[in-house]
Amino acid sequence: MARAAVIQIPGVNCEYESARALERVGIEASILRFNEPASVLSEFDAYLLPGGFAFQDRIRAGAVAAKLPAVERIAAESERGKIVVGICNGAQVLVEAGLVPGIRPGRVELALAPNKAPRRQGYLCRWIWVRAEEGPGRDAFTAALEPGAVVPLPMAHGEGRFETADPDVRRAIESEGLALLRYVAPGGAPARGWPDDPNGAMLHAAGITNRGGNVLAFMPHPERANALKHVPLDLPGTWGEARRRAVGTWEALEGDGPGAFLFRSLAARLGAATPAGRSR
Amino acid sequence: MSSVLLIRLKIPDLTALTALDAGRALLPAGQELMRLVREEVVLFEPAGESRAPGSAAARELDAGLLKAVETSNFFVNPNKERYRLIAASERGEAWTPPEGSWGILTRPRGDTRDAGLLERLQREHPLAGLSAIRRGRVWWLWTRGADGSAGREGALEALGPVEHAGRGLLVNPHSESWLVLPGPIPWTRIETFLAAPEPAAAATTT
Repeated sequence: MARAAVIQIPGVNCEYESARALERVGIEASILRFNEPASVLSEFDAYLLPGGFAFQDRIRAGAVAAKLPAVERIAAESERGKIVVGICNGAQVLVEAGLVPGIRPGRVELALAPNKAPRRQGYLCRWIWVRAEEGPGRDAFTAALEPGAVVPLPMAHGEGRFETADPDVRRAIESEGLALLRYVAPGGAPARGWPDDPNGAMLHAAGITNRGGNVLAFMPHPERANALKHVPLDLPGTWGEARRRAVGTWEALEGDGPGAFLFRSLAARLGAATPAGRSR
Repeated sequence: MSSVLLIRLKIPDLTALTALDAGRALLPAGQELMRLVREEVVLFEPAGESRAPGSAAARELDAGLLKAVETSNFFVNPNKERYRLIAASERGEAWTPPEGSWGILTRPRGDTRDAGLLERLQREHPLAGLSAIRRGRVWWLWTRGADGSAGREGALEALGPVEHAGRGLLVNPHSESWLVLPGPIPWTRIETFLAAPEPAAAATTT
């Protein structure tokens, strides 16, 4: 059975639902404290850095956690091809540690800067839509989606704007398909700024992978949309319709939600389970 | 000439303590980081006649700002913060770091103006002659190199702009710009740094 470590850094708050999302698709998930010995970490096939506020976002979100020996070990394991996913705060850690995008391996080439939106600033919590693009991370992270599929997901962050000061890095991310998931309008049309793109990210990126396609920094929260019951009743589109049809039907409510694609894709890549079919 | 509000915590600053702890781990052998203080910088940019130093309009703006800072609760929380408002007429030519320290002044790479704060100030304490409020943050560092000097260059490499997980801490150059304050630095330089549209990503040092 494939084994994944969910890393519990002081201040994170999504480790349990992340572990449940992995277990649901047949991946054995262990919640490991940040100070576990490196030898223990090396035993796992994949790593998930969950959302939250590691070290209370002191200095910058992810800046302190990026220096942890555990993250250094995970970086070394990623170089061996192991899968690493950072969700929200986990994405901030991966960016601050230089695991993503890895154009020049190890170098910090991005920031997750404060959200930029007209007449508002700070933390934002709402549902957004992302589209799966072609890129080296497709096999590990979006294989359970049809190419170009659009899915709604919840987001909840104040510092989620992918940004780089290096035009070469930006060009590489765009030309090599490293922006694997991008914010779009609810119908799938390209985002034209706020509110489709909730934070003003370059290339409207919601998730960026490394060149090897085995490390993903993803700002929305798929683990909070893992089952259909997580979808709000008033969400527009096919997922909202499915949720409304499922009212009173426990089995349907426990079925896949729009965020399940990430975990199904991981399971398939790790050989833990067969995806139960493409997400709608 | 701008007036400047400097705000720091008077309760223990856990962010600064964390930066101190993380920073010490990044320093090369023989280098020391004795103390680290974080201070928020709020720059009040005058407009029109208020820009003329010593003018009646400038004095009126300074007095209004002092009253607004003292009587509002959106600049400073006196239960946990202390502040220093340096009026344009009193600031002198240069900003001098606290004794024994040097600084890293940071700002967002994008627009530094805080339109929301300006709007709230004008709504609750209407002031004539104020065009913008800009924000920055300064980290004051007390360091010592292996040779007994301040060891500023080595400490800047280790604790300044982040290059990889093992080097850099206080600045992410992809979202922030920075200015090193090695000693007294002209206020005009500070104003230029904080007001520039989007400084280059490369280091800007004095």
